[in-house]
Amino acid sequence: MSKCCAIAFAVLWIFRQQDPRQIVEEAQRRTTSQSQRYEGTLQVVDAKNKITEKRWQYERLGSYGSSKSVLRFTAPAEVKGVALLVINHTDRASDQWMWTPAINRERRIALQDRSTRFFGTDFSFEDLEERDTDQFEYKLIGQEPVDGSACWKVQSTPRQSKASQYTHSYVWIQRDKFAIAQIENYSKDQLVRRARYTDIRNDQGIWTAHKIDMHDLKRNSHTILTIEKLQYNLPMKDDAFSLQALRRES
Amino acid sequence: MMLLRLLSWPYLRRHLLRWILTLAGIVLGVAVFVAMHTANRSIFHAFDTTVDQIAGSTQLQVSAGEFGFDESILERVQAVPEVGVAVPVIEATVETKILGQGSVLILGIDMTGDRSLRDYELKDADDAIIDDPLVFLAQPDSLMVTKEFAERNKLEVNSKIPLLTINGEKEFTVRGVMSSAGMAQAFGGNLAVMDIYAAQQELGRGRRFDRIDIRSKDDVTLEQCQAAIKAALGPTFEVEAPSARGRHFEGLLRSYSAAMSISSLFALIVGMFIIYNSFAIAVTHRRAEIGILRALGATRSQIQRLFFLESISAGLVGSAIGAGVGILMASAITSYMSTVLEQTTGFAQRVNEIVFDPTLIVAGIAIGIVTSVFAAWIPARSASRIDPVQALQKGKYQVLSAGENRRRRWMALIVCLVSIGCLFLSYSKPFFYAGYVLMIAAGLLLAPALTLVLSKTLRPILKRLLPAEGTLAADSLVQAPRRTSATVSALMLSLAMVVGFGGFAHSFYTAVDEWMDNALNPDFFVSASANLVARTITFPAEMSPVIQNVPGVDQVQLVRNARVLFRNVPVMVIAVETEKLARTVHRTPVAGTTAEMNRLTAAGQGLVISDTFAEIHRMRMGNMVELPSPSGVLRLPIVGIVRDFSDMQGSVFIDRSVYTKWWKDDTANVARVYVKNGEDVGTVRQRVIDALAGHHRLLVLTNREVREWITKLLDQWFALTYDQIAVAILVAVLGIVNTLTVSITDRRRELGVMQAVGGLRNQIRRTIWIEALSIGVIGLVLGTGLGAINLYYSLGMVKRDLGGLDLAYIFPVAFVFAMVPTILAAAFVAAIGPAESVIRGSLVEALEYE
Repeated sequence: MSKCCAIAFAVLWIFRQQDPRQIVEEAQRRTTSQSQRYEGTLQVVDAKNKITEKRWQYERLGSYGSSKSVLRFTAPAEVKGVALLVINHTDRASDQWMWTPAINRERRIALQDRSTRFFGTDFSFEDLEERDTDQFEYKLIGQEPVDGSACWKVQSTPRQSKASQYTHSYVWIQRDKFAIAQIENYSKDQLVRRARYTDIRNDQGIWTAHKIDMHDLKRNSHTILTIEKLQYNLPMKDDAFSLQALRRES
Repeated sequence: MMLLRLLSWPYLRRHLLRWILTLAGIVLGVAVFVAMHTANRSIFHAFDTTVDQIAGSTQLQVSAGEFGFDESILERVQAVPEVGVAVPVIEATVETKILGQGSVLILGIDMTGDRSLRDYELKDADDAIIDDPLVFLAQPDSLMVTKEFAERNKLEVNSKIPLLTINGEKEFTVRGVMSSAGMAQAFGGNLAVMDIYAAQQELGRGRRFDRIDIRSKDDVTLEQCQAAIKAALGPTFEVEAPSARGRHFEGLLRSYSAAMSISSLFALIVGMFIIYNSFAIAVTHRRAEIGILRALGATRSQIQRLFFLESISAGLVGSAIGAGVGILMASAITSYMSTVLEQTTGFAQRVNEIVFDPTLIVAGIAIGIVTSVFAAWIPARSASRIDPVQALQKGKYQVLSAGENRRRRWMALIVCLVSIGCLFLSYSKPFFYAGYVLMIAAGLLLAPALTLVLSKTLRPILKRLLPAEGTLAADSLVQAPRRTSATVSALMLSLAMVVGFGGFAHSFYTAVDEWMDNALNPDFFVSASANLVARTITFPAEMSPVIQNVPGVDQVQLVRNARVLFRNVPVMVIAVETEKLARTVHRTPVAGTTAEMNRLTAAGQGLVISDTFAEIHRMRMGNMVELPSPSGVLRLPIVGIVRDFSDMQGSVFIDRSVYTKWWKDDTANVARVYVKNGEDVGTVRQRVIDALAGHHRLLVLTNREVREWITKLLDQWFALTYDQIAVAILVAVLGIVNTLTVSITDRRRELGVMQAVGGLRNQIRRTIWIEALSIGVIGLVLGTGLGAINLYYSLGMVKRDLGGLDLAYIFPVAFVFAMVPTILAAAFVAAIGPAESVIRGSLVEALEYE
């Protein structure tokens, strides 16, 4: 009996793990934290291999659908102080504002502009949003290794309520760490962007990629985001994630 | 064709100079027609091209007149489900301090979304720099310029460009260079792209946008998208395709275009008279030849065809040359006209391309030929009716028979009476214009009879002054009224037009002077731009107390004006501080009472309109005017009508409080500043300049400077009219030369006999001079008379169809007196050549003539 029970549990567990939504939710659960802070370096490598570099400081409060984040550019000098405030929502697309200290003004990044490139990088504004599982339909395509790691390959398709530039995406999730290894974003049947997540380390119990390489296949350019000084669950105030705070701190 | 070759060609070769002069009439007419219309089309084309090039893939534009609207409207538009892309735009022309570059069209855009609409086609080398919009957005001094502009001024990435903004002369940094294609060609390449929020600050826009450019979603039709936006924003916003701006621009310049059409028509009419004159003279001159042909069996239709073929040939050659000359003139006229338009309407244009429309050139040639044939019709008919016997009797044909004279007089009387009848029905446009045409026709019908009367009147005077020469000259005129009257008619018509134009200009200047005396009476004006019609740069209301607190300043009145669409036509709305204005400006209203008008306007219970607005839109006291504003449709009754020349299309005055409430904007274009009694204006002005130094870049213009600027604008506007006057006089002179040449040819034997019996060369010379001067005098008298009538109709036409200006009839006495020496000098100059040809010609040949 106990053997039968053990087999039954094992089968159930396998089936449970084969549910793509469960896989994605588990991946999100494992990376959920109260807050996050890191310093990032962006290297944009264009089609002619010309490299431009920017640095930013990132802070996030909350996780996924209900999170708020502020991204502040720290270098080069021309862009220092420029900030992006993102407020995510569970039921709709995020609100985004950019703060420009030189003119003391915020500008709203309209929903229609989310598909545009994020300030000359190969990320789009939409790519900076955190995904809420309820806004997508998932389908398990199969298993496929990435960089030697066994991964589930899950297809995510935005629900109608979710306005997206992508018709669908494929997400590779490492089977052992439940960490995202790769995302391919499609517009209709054409692959437009590919993000590779590498240098995955365990930081305070959370498996986190310290290098994200986003490749824009149309432009044949790529942007490497390198994460440093990563910290989770730091105490942060809610009112620090508002336009008033951006104005105050500029 | 055989007759043309055997008869016309030898005649043309013998009288080449005269035919050149005849052709000159057609050349001038067609050249002015082609040049004016080409210039007009080039300006509209430049405007449309600039709009198209800037629009990119924009399908619809949301605007609310020139005032713009609060930036919160953007989110409302972006929230419309049918909208694919909606990006805000600010557009303004800004003066650059780069030598010789004049103004630059600044396009303020939001780089985050704008590239979905416009392709900036960046130069490869700079791609990485400008392709990083973060730097562009982070640095408010960022500019992207066109390759053409960069090359012209030797600019590279990171070069500095000085621009005059509301914050003073400021250096901007070139952070990208657009290739010379598409948008980069707009405004003749003098285009620079700036971040929209930086543009708000630099151009004094506050938190406002000029318009929103839109592209619909792929699966939505343009009409669906337009309807959805209209439903979301309400009726006070214009949601139109970019091409609608071109239509509004054309509507704004409708009166200007009409004036240009009339000018070219006028040139053609005068040219027609020259052709008529030449052919009438040719018929007269060749009547013996025609008589012989008729005696030899040539039919009437063959003679008529001969002259028609001649006129078609002359028309074709003259028109072709005219079209060529017109094309050459077009470039200069276009440049001049675009400057005048910028100065008067505030719409800056850079016309780099002259649009040659083949249809227009063909039309010009066709008009020239038709005009030539039409003008030759009467002489051709006369030629075909020549009696062979009468034809051989020299001088007989030049005499108008008593019967013909009587018939003409009766016809003139009937036409005149019908014309007067039309005057009573002149509220109707067809009757007004029919009356005008008939009155001119009556003048032309009466011209031969009046020429004869005046010639006879002049005879005793001339006889007394110079007994021999005077009598001979007067007799020549009296004996050949047909020959003389053709020239006199042309001169009379030219002068009538000249008096009409001159009178209109005089009445206009007088009215503007009165308006400036009454309305523009502040001691100085504070403006964000040296060009007071430029409304794209404004300053905040906080400037008012800054100026008011300057010692010596008595009162400051803020003015904000801009165009909004009223019945699909852009009209000028002027927001004034009514209560303050009432204390300093005492205008007698055309309708309504001053006190009531000011009280109701100040209370926001009514508005005042200019008389031109009332005329153009047929508005009366008490009528409701509906003005679109970002807060809804502002409906106010007309409580007063005043004479105002602020804008050609008429103005609407509302109180500033109404404006700030409905348009949610407290900026101003101009501050009217009054100095306290006893204070020195110059000293106070300097104090104001000092006080403003730490704030915005504002110019302080004295009352005199503003008046001089307005007068200069008027001078520029009327300069084309004066050119027309010069053309008219030139054409009239050509007519006199033609007439005298024929007169001398006709009288060659007579003049030869005079010389043979001892007549001195100087006597012959003086005879011809006096004949020419007499034609000038007769033309002046008749031209002044017809000009007085023409002025009446011209003013009526201006009031009715060319801008609604109700100008007082002021006969331009001084102008006419100035024309006397001009015409007499022209007549004298015209006589020199023919006179010298007679006295230097062979006496034997002269005596052998005929």
